[in-house]
Amino acid sequence: MAKEMIAMLLAGGQGSRLYTLTQNLAKPAVPFGGKYRIIDFPLSNCVNSGIDTVGILTQYQPLVLNEYIGNGQPWDLDRLHGGVHVLPPYQQASGSDWYKGTANAIYQNISFIQRYDPQYVIILSGDQICKQDYSDFLRYHKEKGAEFSVAVMEVPWEEASRFGIMVADENDRITEFQEKPKNPKSNLASMGIYIFNWDILKQYLEEDEADPNSENDFGKNIIPNLFRDNRRMYAYHFSGYWKDVGTISSLWEANMEVLDPEHSGINLFDDDWKIYSRNSGMTGHKIGKGGVVENSMITDGCRINGRVKHSILFAGVRVEEGAEVEDAVVMGGTVIRSGAVVKHCIVAENVEIGENAVVGAMPEGDEKGVATIGNNVFIGDGAKIGPNAMVRNNVKGGEEQW
Amino acid sequence: MVNTNADVLGVLFPNSYDSLVPELVNERLMASIPFGGRYRIVDFVLSSMVNCGIDNISLIVRRNYLSLMDHLGSGREWDLARKNGGLNIIPPFAEKTVKLYNGRVEALASILDFLRGQKETYVVLADTNIVANFDFNALIDQHVQSGADITVAYTEEEIPASAKAVHGQGVDLYYTIDMNDDKRVNYMYMNSTQEGVTNFCLNYYVIKRELLIELITVASVRGYQFFERDMLAPHLDKIKVYGYKYDGYVARISDLKSYFDENMKLLDDKNLDALFDPSPIYTKIRDDNPTRYIEGSRAENVLVADGCIIEGDIENCILFRGVQVGKGAKVKNCVLMQDTIIEAGANVEYVITDKKVTITAGKELRGTDSFPVYIAKHKVV
Repeated sequence: MAKEMIAMLLAGGQGSRLYTLTQNLAKPAVPFGGKYRIIDFPLSNCVNSGIDTVGILTQYQPLVLNEYIGNGQPWDLDRLHGGVHVLPPYQQASGSDWYKGTANAIYQNISFIQRYDPQYVIILSGDQICKQDYSDFLRYHKEKGAEFSVAVMEVPWEEASRFGIMVADENDRITEFQEKPKNPKSNLASMGIYIFNWDILKQYLEEDEADPNSENDFGKNIIPNLFRDNRRMYAYHFSGYWKDVGTISSLWEANMEVLDPEHSGINLFDDDWKIYSRNSGMTGHKIGKGGVVENSMITDGCRINGRVKHSILFAGVRVEEGAEVEDAVVMGGTVIRSGAVVKHCIVAENVEIGENAVVGAMPEGDEKGVATIGNNVFIGDGAKIGPNAMVRNNVKGGEEQW
Repeated sequence: MVNTNADVLGVLFPNSYDSLVPELVNERLMASIPFGGRYRIVDFVLSSMVNCGIDNISLIVRRNYLSLMDHLGSGREWDLARKNGGLNIIPPFAEKTVKLYNGRVEALASILDFLRGQKETYVVLADTNIVANFDFNALIDQHVQSGADITVAYTEEEIPASAKAVHGQGVDLYYTIDMNDDKRVNYMYMNSTQEGVTNFCLNYYVIKRELLIELITVASVRGYQFFERDMLAPHLDKIKVYGYKYDGYVARISDLKSYFDENMKLLDDKNLDALFDPSPIYTKIRDDNPTRYIEGSRAENVLVADGCIIEGDIENCILFRGVQVGKGAKVKNCVLMQDTIIEAGANVEYVITDKKVTITAGKELRGTDSFPVYIAKHKVV
């Protein structure tokens, strides 16, 4: 049974700029927004757009991601025909290879795509927070009679040089592609989301693979080759919320934006476009008699007896009496003991912050550091963690780390 | 946990004690009454069974079971979507010649063929008016060791006044027991009005499947209706019935007031932990976003599920999923079920709102500690 379009989701990125947060897990598995992981967004977008077949290309630290995806049931992707499939690199008769680049990752799975005999393939990236209707993107692609389309966002001109820039004519046909240009000719940034006609994609992947000098990358190789052959390439304008959460500060920022959907545009309270996730199964959260919660998002299993202000707490976080949490992203299972002060920081899963410890600080002047505590770290009583600290190992009571 | 498959079949009676909470079962049955912020009562007994390795569970429903079917679906959330066993909902026959069953005997008689076809050695029978994280393995262990024919779980507690009042009309019976030193039951009381602490049955029974089939066959031939009243109580000399004392946390729903109180009790961390810590309680997933507390809101001593938006002031409340409390609204000592909307400036106290109730802007609504006001599903105040 042929599918009109299937999705290939690039989830192999190491996310090295998230440092300690991605030490043991792939970037798409990084928790976000109180009860989600980053990959919930593209997966939910697929289901909400009617795409029922998704290949997830994994490579770096796939354990957490694999377990999280499971059979795909939370996203309604456990299907008789299609559904979600995790695709790690594998050994073939001719030998085995890690995925050398984004294009090579798809190339190595040509046979997977072929099984569904799709007309179109959408290439997604597993490290963006974005609610997008891919069916509208496909409608556009077909209307234009395109062979390749790329979703683009208008970005401020001064930032354009940080992105891959698409230059398009008045019909949105792309005339030029500039990778991180010094002098951008347009401010249409590529979101790294592509729709290909499958026959075209296959042809260029095979050609690219045969080129020993290629880096096997969509941006660096495949797209320039499409230009060389004057293929019909179009830019699809997207204007909703989109954020690449590749750095600690952008991840922190995006979480904070969830608290202000009226201005930021990232509304998780949308019944028509739900974001699905694997549920913690914990009971409701409890705010105790002395607990204070202001302008925050709290989810199942939390117990709050201290003060929580402008923060996001994931499942099962405990904030003991007298503890203070502000401008913080606190991931699942973390315990903040009484009297501890946790501010302007990201605390990963299952951390314990001892009594009267201080983690991070509200920004002063140019100092805007987001202190970050890695998974399973223990911060001793009275320890002090500076606003620029990146904590991977336990910190003993009373010690300081900056 | 290799020994996952208990050699036990579960049979639930989701309609039992419906008559105690007429308001709440208007459009549902006892088993599907929402409880504790994100659960339905049946979740507790189902999860308890599943956590004890009981994975072949039948529910014999009688009426108003649409909400239960909707809640349970394929049983996947309780890990009961199985090739062998799993979840099995048995609706009543809707034929003119077959009337709806009344007591447990008639209910079981209607599934005798099913019981004969199963392979499990034991059967656990359970009602669904009990909220507990129950260890069925302990019950079964004692049953096997004692050599009992039937073991019934009980708690030591006082019979609630509300139960006495309603049961006087003889709609749903409740049972208390006297036992010998070796825990063998020597007397079974029906609708006792005894004062003080008694051995109050939880109506969780364990019995060998073969014996159950035998007893039910005899009982239905003789025209018995009630398992306890007609089958057990008069024959305690022949049938060895033993008591199993349960010491864990129990919430027993015996009327609207006790429903309110038992919800409120969960605001005490001690109770919340006692109920939820022993093993996980599963429920239907709704994929709500986390609850959002907007600037200017205030929350104190509340148990809140996901998907709520709080702009007003909440205190001593249980909020189910998707509740909205508008700006300037004050909500105190309330149980607000799924998708209740309290509009801006409303002031409510001691109120139970059923699903999808709206309290419009500026309204004042007050029950009292001893008599909480109940607002039925979909109503707009």
